[in-house]
Amino acid sequence: MPFGQLFVEGLAIGACYGLFATAVVIIYKTSEVVNFAQGEMAMFSTFVAFHILNFYGYPFWMAFLITMLFSIAMGVLIEFLFLRPAKHPTILGMIVITLGAEMFLMGLASWKWGAEQQFFALPINPSVTYEPIKGMIINNWSIAVLSVSSLIMLILFVFFKYTRLGTAMRATQQNKNAAKIMGIRTERVFSFAWGFSSLIGAIAGMFFASRATLDPAFMMEPFLRAFAAAVLGGLMSIPGVIIGGGLMGLIENYFGYIWPEWKPIVAFIVIVLVLCIKPSGLFAKHYVKKV
Amino acid sequence: MDHFKVENLSISFGGLKAVNDISFSVEKNTIFSIIGPNGSGKTTIFNMISGIYQPNHGSIVFNGENLVGLTPDRIARRGVARTFQNIELFGNASVMDNLMLGRHLHMKTGIFKGAFMWGRGSSAAREEIANRELVEGIIDFLDLQSVRNTFVGSLPYGKRKLVELGRALALEPQVLLLDEPSAGMNTEEKEDLNIWIKDIQADYKVTILLIEHDMKMIMGISDRILAVNQGQKIVEGTAAVVQSHPEVIKAYLGEES
Amino acid sequence: MDKKKLFVAMVVLAATVAWSGVSLAANPPGFDDNEIRIGQWGPQTGPAAPWGSVARGSKLLFDIVNEEGGINGRKIKYFIRDDMYNPAQTSAVVKELVERQGVFAFVGGVGSATGMAVKDYLAQNKIVWVGPSAADDNFIKPLNPYLFAVYPLYKDEASILAKYIVENLKSKKIAILYQNDAYGKDGLDGAKDRLATYRMQFVAEISVEPTEKDLGSQILRLKNSGADTVLMYVGPTTAAIALKTSANVGFKPQWVSSDTLSDYPLMFKITGGLWEGVITGAFGDIPTSTTNKYVVKYREAAKRLAPQERWGTFYMAGLLFADPIVDALKKAGRNLSTESLLKALNSVKGHQTLGPPVTWSEKQHQGTDSVMIQKCGPNGSYIELQGWTKNDLATWNK
Repeated sequence: MPFGQLFVEGLAIGACYGLFATAVVIIYKTSEVVNFAQGEMAMFSTFVAFHILNFYGYPFWMAFLITMLFSIAMGVLIEFLFLRPAKHPTILGMIVITLGAEMFLMGLASWKWGAEQQFFALPINPSVTYEPIKGMIINNWSIAVLSVSSLIMLILFVFFKYTRLGTAMRATQQNKNAAKIMGIRTERVFSFAWGFSSLIGAIAGMFFASRATLDPAFMMEPFLRAFAAAVLGGLMSIPGVIIGGGLMGLIENYFGYIWPEWKPIVAFIVIVLVLCIKPSGLFAKHYVKKV
Repeated sequence: MDHFKVENLSISFGGLKAVNDISFSVEKNTIFSIIGPNGSGKTTIFNMISGIYQPNHGSIVFNGENLVGLTPDRIARRGVARTFQNIELFGNASVMDNLMLGRHLHMKTGIFKGAFMWGRGSSAAREEIANRELVEGIIDFLDLQSVRNTFVGSLPYGKRKLVELGRALALEPQVLLLDEPSAGMNTEEKEDLNIWIKDIQADYKVTILLIEHDMKMIMGISDRILAVNQGQKIVEGTAAVVQSHPEVIKAYLGEES
Repeated sequence: MDKKKLFVAMVVLAATVAWSGVSLAANPPGFDDNEIRIGQWGPQTGPAAPWGSVARGSKLLFDIVNEEGGINGRKIKYFIRDDMYNPAQTSAVVKELVERQGVFAFVGGVGSATGMAVKDYLAQNKIVWVGPSAADDNFIKPLNPYLFAVYPLYKDEASILAKYIVENLKSKKIAILYQNDAYGKDGLDGAKDRLATYRMQFVAEISVEPTEKDLGSQILRLKNSGADTVLMYVGPTTAAIALKTSANVGFKPQWVSSDTLSDYPLMFKITGGLWEGVITGAFGDIPTSTTNKYVVKYREAAKRLAPQERWGTFYMAGLLFADPIVDALKKAGRNLSTESLLKALNSVKGHQTLGPPVTWSEKQHQGTDSVMIQKCGPNGSYIELQGWTKNDLATWNK
């Protein structure tokens, strides 16, 4: 068994799951809504990048910047158009709304760009590989995923810990009423959470698309896995979710090496086991929300 | 101009008039108490003042501005703070963090400046120090020194009430709404609270609106008292006036003693 | 109030659908003095839409036939219905075509599951169906008198590819990556049977779910097996991920794949050029051929009649699968009936245009087991490695 190589592969794809799971968690943390449109929002943003690159021929950094702005705007707009008008929504109602948004985005993308697979590449040559230790090959894609997700984690850590908006987001998540009474504009917090989450999702989407292919359905499977990673990590704690993503990638790759036919479900079995023992996930901090 | 004035305030829930045509006026830096049996609409009045409920009729004028129609966060920004009957704290944070969240309104630093405190002399660092000093003052004042780093979720009920009071003070409000602050406290704690409320009035120059069941405390500290029953005003006046009103004796005090 | 309205609307809708399903009279006849009605289902929208070009390819063939004056004085009226690759939709659109439009015969039809959903209905209504755009034993066994298959079975193709790998590529260590469904398993079985004749086995047999997006561990298994050649029975996305991941971990075997991935320009595009050098089976001649006169003729006609279409493998397959019915209709003569068409189809022998020779008899409706072997050259171009080859180990005709 090539332990080292499986570690590299598992960690890289796990970082990708973790990054995308972070997008899921940012929305969940603030509004307790599991956003089922998350995958399709990322898909749509990736298609926008694809469109800018292929139809306007802009350089990658410019396409990337425009896509980032677009993804923030889309996140804010979806929250504003779909979720905010819901009067006294239940959690289930909100989930149904996000499912509607998902179908809408998928339909729109199929209509605009067709269902055929497209090629999407990052400005890195994935075929360039390095072999720092014998039998352990690292390629540019893995290096890019690991460094970008580490950087985003660092930014998130600083953001939530030291900024006013980050504090407002944490406060809103813990107690919306109390946050309002503290003068926190909770609606702005929600807008921001959706924009921010959409942005991180778009970055993760580009990584997934460059590893596989780009089509309107390409984020469905990664969303399921990222969601599972988020549950594994406790849905609330961002470091927990990152570790959850990493574990997911590693478990899948080690088990998948021994029993390929079990690969698609092994992680879900582990999650069920974890939830049986620790229902709040591996890294959720125990706290009492209301008395 | 009146400092804080409520006029013809009414709200119905499903046809039931929870608060019906209530008017009162509060002078600056006084303690104004609302008494009445359970379910008489006291907390509903507070919820309308802080923007959680929208009244069907009436106005709530503070410093010449009508608060009706504003969202809770905007009302908080106008200088109205409150505590809740059932305590609304950030349970997953420490006492210190909860109090610092009370300072949120007063922090001007944006995302980028706040993220990196460029040296000790930067505006962000100065602001942070000023905020910490104010919060430390409140911690000393309410005697919360021993639990400052404890998660509020694990504190006893009485202490959590104090943390909530402290957090409301951290907002540096002009008007403070206290909803049954003494509920769940023992006699000794109640006596302390009595003193603190007087001190808050004196030291922080705050107008206090108080809902309480403890008659001894009410009669001792209130400048004026409003008695309500079934959403209607019975009488408003000084302790002596309210105490001697026959309906109050019948509807409220009579049952208590 | 809205809910009530919605409910009423749904009841009305359900009743309409149910009513339309009840055929009070016999189905309308499939032809008259001036036209013959032919239909096809195929995904024009949804995730399988890339295969929708098959149905549009058949349209080109019928347009050409009509332009040349039709068949025995009759024009072909052709209906395409979008089933979104969803068997329930396929049933609905096929019923509509049979009971409302009065369709005489069907051609093509992408998908195994979609075809299975209507196979029995078509036979019961005595509707002829030529050239399903899928390989499935169930279409030919037991013999269905109305169903005539052109597409070579995956088992046969895999057997021929395995033979080529062993004898022409001289490969000693072969591995297989197969999709965990009927398509993938047919490929696995066919190739294993062939390897057994050389007393060989796969050095690794790795299955993959069609939706999987991370193939890291699977590719490492293939790499560590020491395989120099990997046979693939997977979908286009899986193949693209497999090639990209392999490049990432420095694994460079000879890739060999089934004919479902023989659309080289598409595969070249979605793999960022990694498809160059991949060898595949093929159910049709090279779309860019200059020697096959039919390919040349239709390609030129497409430029004129369907300039918006890409002349690719699957578009051309639409002509290939529909082609035998045109030939049979001509032979059936002016005095057309289902019986005369069946008789003509059952006597098709060695009919060859865009693909391998097709032969049907009253006892056998699998038209061929021949595949071509092609290789992807620079920029998604086609290179022919081996012409039409029969499977000497075929079992369908036994």
